[in-house]
Amino acid sequence: MIEVDKLRKVYEGPGRAVVAIEHLDFDVKDGEIVGIVGSTGCGKSTFLRIVMGIDAPTSGKVLIDGREPYRDYWHFRGKIAAVFQEDRLFPWRTALDNVRLGLEILGVPKSEQIARAKRWLDALGLGEFANSYPHQLSGGMRQRVALARALVLEPEVILLDEAFGHLDEVTSSRLRSDFLELVRREGITTLFVTHNLREALESTDRIVVFGRPAKVLADLRVEGQMNRDDVRERIYRLIEMNQPSGHITSV
Amino acid sequence: MGVLASSERAAQRFVRRVGTWKDYAVSLVALLVVWEALSRMLPSYVLPPLEMVFGTILGLNFTHAYVTLLRVAVALLAAFGTGLVLATMMYLSRRAERYLMPIISLIMAVPAICWVLFAILWFREQELRVFFVLFAVCMPGYTIDILDGIKSVPFQLREVILVFRPTRYQLLRKLIFPSIVPNILTTWKVNLGLGIRVVTVAELVGTLTGVGYALNFALGNLSMREIMAWTVVLVISLLALQGLVHLIEAYALRWRK
Repeated sequence: MIEVDKLRKVYEGPGRAVVAIEHLDFDVKDGEIVGIVGSTGCGKSTFLRIVMGIDAPTSGKVLIDGREPYRDYWHFRGKIAAVFQEDRLFPWRTALDNVRLGLEILGVPKSEQIARAKRWLDALGLGEFANSYPHQLSGGMRQRVALARALVLEPEVILLDEAFGHLDEVTSSRLRSDFLELVRREGITTLFVTHNLREALESTDRIVVFGRPAKVLADLRVEGQMNRDDVRERIYRLIEMNQPSGHITSV
Repeated sequence: MGVLASSERAAQRFVRRVGTWKDYAVSLVALLVVWEALSRMLPSYVLPPLEMVFGTILGLNFTHAYVTLLRVAVALLAAFGTGLVLATMMYLSRRAERYLMPIISLIMAVPAICWVLFAILWFREQELRVFFVLFAVCMPGYTIDILDGIKSVPFQLREVILVFRPTRYQLLRKLIFPSIVPNILTTWKVNLGLGIRVVTVAELVGTLTGVGYALNFALGNLSMREIMAWTVVLVISLLALQGLVHLIEAYALRWRK
C-alpha cells in the first residue's frame, strides 16, 4: 500500500523558492492501477521521483508498506520499477542487456538474468531482437524493451511517467493494453502519470487529478459504464479552475 | 532561407567527404608532389628531395623511435590512470573537486618547456625526467576531460539506474564508465599528439636516447635530411597510433549509429 501524507516539495532557487508539490494526501491500495493527471509542470514527475526514492520531500511523507522509499534505500532494491516517456535505454547495451540491467544490480546469477530477460522480451514480442542495439529498433520496440526492463524485476510497484506518450496512437494503445493486462495479471501496484485523459480513463481503476502546484483536486474511481466525455469535461474544468472538488467519487 | 539551405547542404557534403581514405591519399600525394617540386628549386640543406629523405629513413637507428614511443605509452598510461582516479574522486566528492581542481588547473597552466627545465634540475635519471614532463603535461587534460564526460552523463540515464538502487561501484561500472568511453578515446587521440610533441622536446635537452636526442644530434651535424627523416618517422608513428585508437573506437563504439 502506498500512503501519501501531507506531501510538500519546495525547490530552493537563487532568490526564490518554487513550490512543486503543495499538499498531497491520498492512498493507493495493493494491486491498484491509479492514473495521475494534471497540467504540464504541475509536479507529477516530481511526485514520481519521490515515490522512486531518488528525491526527498520538503515535508510530509510517502510510505510504501510503511517505509519511506527515499530513506530506506536498500529495502526497496528490486521492489520499485519505472518506465519513462523516453525509452532511456543504455545505447551501448543490446536489448537483452538493457532488460537484465536491474537483475545485474540485484546480483541475480547471470544464467537466470538471461533466461528471465529473454522470457520478457518474448512476452513483449521482441525475442528476435534480443541482440539488437537500441538504434537498430523502432520507437515502439525500444519502449517495449523499457517495459520489459521494468517487468523483469517482478516489482511490487511500477511507476509510469507518460510511458506511452511518445508513441503514435495505434502503437501506444496496443502497447498500453498489453502492458496493463500483464500488470493486472501480476497484481502490481501501478501509478500511471499521463496528461492524456482518454488514456487514463481507458486504462486505470482510479484517477487522481493534480492541481498546480501538485495538490489533489479530485480522486475519481472509474467503475462500470460511464460517459467518458462527461468525465473528461469535468476533469478539464477542475484542472482549469485549479480548485479541489472533494473526496473520492465514483464515475 | 535558400542561401542558408544551400550552405547547409554544402556543409553536409563537406562533413561527409572529409575523413575518407581517398581524401587522405589525394592530400598526401599533392603534398609529396609540392615537396619534390620545391626540393628541385631549393638547396638540399633547406629542403632535401624525397628520395634522399626516404633513403635516410632506411638507415636510421630505429631504437630511438622505439624508446620514444615506449616512453610516450608508459607516461600516457600513467597519466590516464591518474586522471581517471582523480576525476572519479572529484565526481564522488564535491570537497575533493573543490580542493583538487585548482591544483589541476595550475599544473595545466605551466608551459611544457618549464616542466622540461624543472625535470632537468630536479632529476638526474633521464627516464624519470621524460616521464615527469609527459605526465605533468598530459595528466590534467585527461582529468578534466574525463570529469567533464562524467558530469555530462544524461540525468535521464542516471534516473533509470538509480531506481534500481545500485551501489556506488555499480553506478560507476554500469553507467558512468561506459558513458564516458567516447570522451576517453577523444582525449587519448589529443594526448597522443601532445605526448609526441612534448617527448621530443624533453628528449632534445634531457636525454641521450630517443628521437629528440637523435634530432639534436642531426642538428649538430647540420643534417637537414636526417631531421626531415626523423620528422617523417614521428608523423607516421603518430598517425599509426591514432589509427590504432580509431580501430579501438570502431570496436568499442560499435553501438553507435
